[in-house]
Amino acid sequence: MFVINCPFCGEREQSEFKAGGEAHILRPKQPTELSDDEWAEYLFMRKNIKGIQFERWNHTHGCRKWFNIARDTSNDEIKVVYKMGEKPPSI
Amino acid sequence: MLNYNQALPKDTLIQDLQMKEIKPIMKLVIRGKKREFISAVGKSLNILLPTEANTSTQSDRLTALWLSPDEWMIFSNQPVDENTNNYETEQLLNKNISKLNLGAVTDVTDQFVMINLKGNKVYPLFQTGSPFNFNDFQTKKGAVTQTILTKIDIIVHNQDKNDVNLFVRRSFSQHLFSWMNDSASRL
Repeated sequence: MFVINCPFCGEREQSEFKAGGEAHILRPKQPTELSDDEWAEYLFMRKNIKGIQFERWNHTHGCRKWFNIARDTSNDEIKVVYKMGEKPPSI
Repeated sequence: MLNYNQALPKDTLIQDLQMKEIKPIMKLVIRGKKREFISAVGKSLNILLPTEANTSTQSDRLTALWLSPDEWMIFSNQPVDENTNNYETEQLLNKNISKLNLGAVTDVTDQFVMINLKGNKVYPLFQTGSPFNFNDFQTKKGAVTQTILTKIDIIVHNQDKNDVNLFVRRSFSQHLFSWMNDSASRL
């Protein structure tokens, strides 16, 4: 359990949020031109690293807004929270 | 109101904690992002929508709760006529907001149940089932939060000291009320 600082509502407990997976994955511009392997790579393959990971989260039980966080997956420390559409900060 | 049945079985008073359903209360959810939207709502209803997070504003007839940066709930301060679902406020907003494509207006009168809780055990009751930190919240008059209580989504409005309005979806209201009764009996 940890506390997430929602950029809209402020500090809330993790149980109010839903994780939305890895952030900053761009949809291919021409999906029809991709091979099955390339499409599977886009659709399913995630880094899932031990360390700082950029993730999307949704405040489902609060303002219902999406935002990004940079979280250290080894100790759940949240390095930075930033809004959708903003570029990932360098950490 | 469409549903004439009482969502909650009865009013209760447990250890100085009074819980009762207030009905029928008109409730509208309005959504919009443009600056013109906020000023159009202000002019139509003579109420300033709260733009600061977790706050509310009040006029003599209506209260507006901040739900998210582009979403507010407006409810009537007094019970309305239960024989109709046509509200002057909604018609006014439909005319000045929806028809001009400034935002969206949704009538949630029958979707949400409003429960009023009074007494000095209100926050100890919430603390038994909610992850939200109510320490600062209970000292701020007009504060609003959306959180979970015993895993049920709720909207809490701190109307006055130890006087709280709680909004819950109708389908969850009986279970929540039953849980609150049970939990309050052990405070």
